[in-house]
Amino acid sequence: MAMAREREKCVTGIEGLDNILGGGIPTNNIVLVAGSDGTGKTTLAFEFLVRGAVSGENGVLITTVESKSKLLANIPSLVFYDEKMLGKQLSIVTLKEMIDGTDKPFGKADEPAMDKIIASIEKLATGAKAKRLVIDSIDTILPDEKEDRLNTYFLTALSEMLHKHGSTAILVSKAATAESGIGSVVDGIIQMSNLERKGDLLRTMQVPKMKGTAHSRAKYVIDLTSAGVLVTTLLKGGI
Amino acid sequence: MPEDLHSRIALKLEAVGPSVSIGLEIKIESYFDVVRGIIDDFASKRRMNCIYITSSVPSATLNSALEALEANTEGLRFIDCVSHTMMGAIHRVDNTVFVENPSMLENIILKVEYFLRLAGDKKTVVVFDSANSFAIHNDPKMLSEFFTIILNSLKAREAYPVVLMIPDQLRVEVKEMLGMVCDVIMPIDEERQP
Repeated sequence: MAMAREREKCVTGIEGLDNILGGGIPTNNIVLVAGSDGTGKTTLAFEFLVRGAVSGENGVLITTVESKSKLLANIPSLVFYDEKMLGKQLSIVTLKEMIDGTDKPFGKADEPAMDKIIASIEKLATGAKAKRLVIDSIDTILPDEKEDRLNTYFLTALSEMLHKHGSTAILVSKAATAESGIGSVVDGIIQMSNLERKGDLLRTMQVPKMKGTAHSRAKYVIDLTSAGVLVTTLLKGGI
Repeated sequence: MPEDLHSRIALKLEAVGPSVSIGLEIKIESYFDVVRGIIDDFASKRRMNCIYITSSVPSATLNSALEALEANTEGLRFIDCVSHTMMGAIHRVDNTVFVENPSMLENIILKVEYFLRLAGDKKTVVVFDSANSFAIHNDPKMLSEFFTIILNSLKAREAYPVVLMIPDQLRVEVKEMLGMVCDVIMPIDEERQP
């Protein structure tokens, strides 16, 4: 039987996630990190960038919701994070900053507005020599889940841009799901959830889709710590 | 063989070596001697870290007892699964992390992983106190899966996993399960017999 050719991987550095993904995210993939509030989406995406910075892969974080200071204040203080990375291996910009201070760059979400955003991201990523890109959250840029045509237009353009630069992207979203329009267009989905068991709330992570790699589809329990996102198998009690 | 129990425990654990999961059968009256033997006589004196997972006695109580015994607690870390359930004031201290209750087994695995990562390559003793209290809060099948996963993981990392158990108070099915998941069942108090 012919085996699919293994694609080059972007090793996230998050050990448990790399194990789930068979070594990392295939390079150039656009990965949706989806989940409700408090499930660890931003922390996971931030660690992806910091681990990259530590291993020599520059990263850019475009924050569309929180200010830089608030974002940094709310993330667990990672023991391998160094503030000196900021502005060098790791760039954090707000959406407003990215598009040269224009307050409402895309009052109407249409193709020209998407082109403008893509051009701004490319300029930023090129300047930072970024191999890793995070947009937190994509819901601000693609506000309407039903706008399939426009979402596809944006994600296709982003994919082409990433391919040109050999970069890998994580898009954080509270609204999108594996079944939604965006979920069907992206290359991979990491679903973050809360699992209630006898009144206890466990944070979980599951990868239902990741193009270009054989991966586990099981649900895992995670913890957000200063040593990074830790991952373990979900116990089932022999059931 | 030394007279005092805590010294004997340290020698027994040393003889077994790393990467072997031990079920340590104890009696309730020798509890603090056993704890002292593992933490002070064994781990501390051999410059090892100790991760102490307690689901029976709050970490603050254990800390106070060890202090009274003048034990060295420098490399000691607690995963306290009992203080939250008592709904009292939690005293946050550097060497302790809290898990809401002993049925959050995955979170216990993750806290152990957390301390192991912070410790780096340093050898570590991991104590589960106790199988009896874990069995009160968990279904035997779940507990069996938990011990299988965590003990195998610790053995692979050349740690010293020790599960405390009071055999007279254990249900038969839990005792049988521990017999399966532990490599050695060690009855400590029999050493006192002539």
